[in-house]
Amino acid sequence: MKAATGLAAACAGVFLALLLQQALPAVHVLHGARFVFVPLIFCMAAMALPFPLMLAAALFTGFLCDLMYLHVVGGRVEIALGCSIVFFVIYGSVANGLRPGYLQGHWWPLIPLAGGGTAAYLLMQFVMISLRRDGFEFDAALVWRVLAPGCIASVFAPILYAAVKPFASMLPQGFATERRY
Amino acid sequence: MKKLNIALLLAVLAAGVYLSALPAGEMQSLQGRFLSVLAPFLRTGNAVQEKLGSVGQELKTLDELDAENRKLSDQNRVLLATNNLLREIEAENNRLRTAIGYRERSVFNLLPARIISRDASTWWNTVRINRGFEDGVETDQPVLTEIGLVGKTTTVTKSESIVVLVTDETCRVAAKVEGTREQGILSGKRIQESGTPGELHLNFLTKNAVLEPGQKVYTAGVGRGVFPSGILVGSVREFRTRPLDGQAAVDPAVDLSGTEDVFVVVGAK
Repeated sequence: MKAATGLAAACAGVFLALLLQQALPAVHVLHGARFVFVPLIFCMAAMALPFPLMLAAALFTGFLCDLMYLHVVGGRVEIALGCSIVFFVIYGSVANGLRPGYLQGHWWPLIPLAGGGTAAYLLMQFVMISLRRDGFEFDAALVWRVLAPGCIASVFAPILYAAVKPFASMLPQGFATERRY
Repeated sequence: MKKLNIALLLAVLAAGVYLSALPAGEMQSLQGRFLSVLAPFLRTGNAVQEKLGSVGQELKTLDELDAENRKLSDQNRVLLATNNLLREIEAENNRLRTAIGYRERSVFNLLPARIISRDASTWWNTVRINRGFEDGVETDQPVLTEIGLVGKTTTVTKSESIVVLVTDETCRVAAKVEGTREQGILSGKRIQESGTPGELHLNFLTKNAVLEPGQKVYTAGVGRGVFPSGILVGSVREFRTRPLDGQAAVDPAVDLSGTEDVFVVVGAK
């Protein structure tokens, strides 16, 4: 029951994050970088949930992201459905590897992992687009648009952790309750 | 790692690969259904964003509104009269074209639409409009304003559509330059600087083309393309020669960051 609650909470969090990042405008000062919260939420879930449930969360998150940002012009798909699922499975596996420490209260790896995962997700999208189009094009704005959302996610990671911590008892094994093995 | 975990991992990866192998049409259909479900949430979010952004702005007295209403009514009457006159000229033009053996020009229906959200992704220049297949909108229909071209529809849901803007690299338009015989393919840059009108590139021009800044660029309407001919797209900013062809930098005619009301060209009458 606790596991199911954890997965449901993760899915609801990803869904809300998707809606929120859709509603928030691009930041002109950061060369059009956007708020991208989905990898942050997923990362936290991946560190808290058991492996099979992390996979379910990866499936849900990847499918939703691909449906939201599918770009088809003239019958040509830029990033096919399913690509994000593969990304979130790999990303989630890395995050899930840090789960034992996370359950003991070592939450700080969430900061670099959320930032790195967000930037890696955006970079993956850019690489896939470039492979589909006429090759790579580099621009200063590209660096901003990849790294700035990652930095924003890193800043928000401790805030999110602090906000979620009171609900930890509802999640599987009461994650982040400084449980000692 | 447990055998069950490995099996589950392979199953999820297989699901991802299976989805990636779906035809583009099916993916679009899935996306359409998903966005239809999401539409109420997205509309609420955008309405809140709009309300927050417009607090304290656009507040007018009843007298001001009355004056504006009268002005708009007058303008509407003038436009209706002009439109009727132009329709007669159009019909006459088509009669004359038929008489001299030219193909009759198509006449299109314009469906008014409102932009309900814009630029929701990092890499694509898109907007969402409040018209879908219920209103007769289909995929790959041109979207424009009274000033010029905005883009074309891509994914169409029941009551909303996604429009890829002309500033996006994937929106390619056959275009011609006013006063010359130069034609080329117009497309946007991959990464447009945020908060600017954007920049377009007109490629495959002849190397010795003589183009002046400010010359208008119109859709060429070549073959069975998406865009009918004669829609203003922008104006030439500069021309440069490349090893194999000439390229013009073009400023878009429509301010795509501030436009709210557009028209979808929904088909021939």
